[in-house]
Amino acid sequence: MKDGFRQSMAWLHTWSGLLLGWLLFAVFLTGTVAYFRQEVTAWMQPELHGSVADAGTAERAVERMGRIAPDAAQWTIALPGERTPAVSVSWRPADAKPNDRAALKRATLDAGTGEVLEPRETAGGNFLYRFHFELYGMPRETARWIIGIATMAMLVAIVSGIITHRRIFKDFFTFRPEKSPLRSWMDGHVAAAVLALPFHLMITYSGLLLFMTMLMPWAVDLAYDGNRQTYFAESGFRRAAPAPRPAPQAAPLTPVAPLLAEAERQWADRGGVGTITVTNPGRANATIELRPAAADSIGRGGGGTERLLFDGVTGRTLEVPPTDPQPGAMATGNYLMGLHLARFAGPGMRWLFFVSGVAGTVMVGSGLILWVVKRRSQRSRADNRADGPEPFGHRLADRLNIGVVAGLPLAVAAFFWANRLLPAGLEERAGWEIGVFFLAWAAALLHAPLRPSRRGWAEQLWAGAALFALLPVLNAATAAGHLGNSLPAGNWLLAGFDLTALAAGLLLGFAARKVGRNAFSRKAASAPVLPAGAVAEELT
Amino acid sequence: MILSSLCIAYAGFLALALAMDRHHEQILARRPSARASRLLGWVGWAVLALSLPPAIVAWGWAIGLPAWLGLLTVAAAALALLLPYAPRAALRLGPAAVVCAPLLAFLA
Repeated sequence: MKDGFRQSMAWLHTWSGLLLGWLLFAVFLTGTVAYFRQEVTAWMQPELHGSVADAGTAERAVERMGRIAPDAAQWTIALPGERTPAVSVSWRPADAKPNDRAALKRATLDAGTGEVLEPRETAGGNFLYRFHFELYGMPRETARWIIGIATMAMLVAIVSGIITHRRIFKDFFTFRPEKSPLRSWMDGHVAAAVLALPFHLMITYSGLLLFMTMLMPWAVDLAYDGNRQTYFAESGFRRAAPAPRPAPQAAPLTPVAPLLAEAERQWADRGGVGTITVTNPGRANATIELRPAAADSIGRGGGGTERLLFDGVTGRTLEVPPTDPQPGAMATGNYLMGLHLARFAGPGMRWLFFVSGVAGTVMVGSGLILWVVKRRSQRSRADNRADGPEPFGHRLADRLNIGVVAGLPLAVAAFFWANRLLPAGLEERAGWEIGVFFLAWAAALLHAPLRPSRRGWAEQLWAGAALFALLPVLNAATAAGHLGNSLPAGNWLLAGFDLTALAAGLLLGFAARKVGRNAFSRKAASAPVLPAGAVAEELT
Repeated sequence: MILSSLCIAYAGFLALALAMDRHHEQILARRPSARASRLLGWVGWAVLALSLPPAIVAWGWAIGLPAWLGLLTVAAAALALLLPYAPRAALRLGPAAVVCAPLLAFLA
């Protein structure tokens, strides 16, 4: 009975993992890069690389807004920080509806001079971020359903995997790269899964939570009689705070320097002021709201709920309306969803998430490869006709593995190359960048079935390795923020991207060399390294 | 604080690995006695528990707990990768980590 249960769990693990594995690999890979989406976007806009913040940045930005949009209903000024070099501003024209996001106008300001910058249009890190939960080129709702189902399969695969793999503690540190392909892939798969297991469970479960009102709307529909907007408003997911209408009397805006000084003093450990929101600027009822750069809690949203509110004419401190305490269930949900989004995370924490995300990507990728390696090994044991044709299903899975596991990193690298090689003024430029990404990926998927398995793996891994490793060179050739400048200046925003690309290139090159040598050769796979019984034991 | 938590976690995992026959043999080319194995196991768990406080001091409970789990992942992954390729280095890194942990805590 017990063995029967474990067998069925192994079956469930194999098939829930395989069928949605290719999609999950893409979700994990792009989602992992998305932890650095602001950094990626910053790298993809070289026009902003010369922007350096100083003590006068905030004041200059407010002063500039007075000239760009004197009659706006509201200004929002996001100050530069560790993750963004320039000031991003947006404003709502006086005649726009309060919650109409599309009516917002945006601009980018140089942090050092306050000048309006014209960065190239780019899909940026945002494309990879959106792709990991909405894919591309299909209705948003449909895509989210597909991802939601894949996430559910992921959760099933994790739980059935834990049950299948019974010796978690005994095998905790076990990695034997010198053993048979089957053994070493199994070790690698288990290590990537077990060592970051808390992360995998958290990210998968919270991923489902983020979709919860879409996947399971029934409780809300029943309690609110189908009126979901009421539920969102009451549960605070969408804060509806209509700004007061502008007063008819004009009045000059108070100098912001003293307000900023006060906020900097209070938020010394929170990275100082992050955003400035001015409502009804130039009117008698103007208000200035400041929020800290770093969050004090994990819950959804950027700087948390803490803020300072000032009268925009007199500069007097106004009382901030208290926020309702969250009920326990909602606080728990927000905590988990906040962990998934990691908006609160400083650099150290962000790297930890990134490393765990890489582990998740390796876990899914190695699981896919394992499916093929295991069947090859079984086939060669079952009959000694290892030279016979490989079944179509196995070949299909193997070629899809090449096109996704090796092809997707290649496509991401091609996306970055397109960012620098397409002319800066190109019409629909962001769309072209995305086009290059999908073209490169399609080329990889088409290339895989045309080549012998091992050659296909090696060629695509080498291509990806070269594209990634040469990104710092491309950066040096096309922009001023290359390693020769960014490292001496301590600009980790830009240097971090280049160094990570280099590391990704080396890692892919290492994998390519291994493949080229022996890891996938049929000879190595068919060598009888283990007695048949031991393999069966190992795999169930 | 973050790095000292990482160092302590590594030392803890190393003790746990040394408590297992397979890895003890990998590192020291002999099997541990039953008593040594039990002792190393207890020391390993205790040291791992000690790696939690620095993370909590640095980040508080809400962020510190998930951060600590992330640090454990990094420490264990480093050990798992060192064991097959450089078992002696894996061993020598243990005492080094124990020495570095309080130093890094003072520097931070």
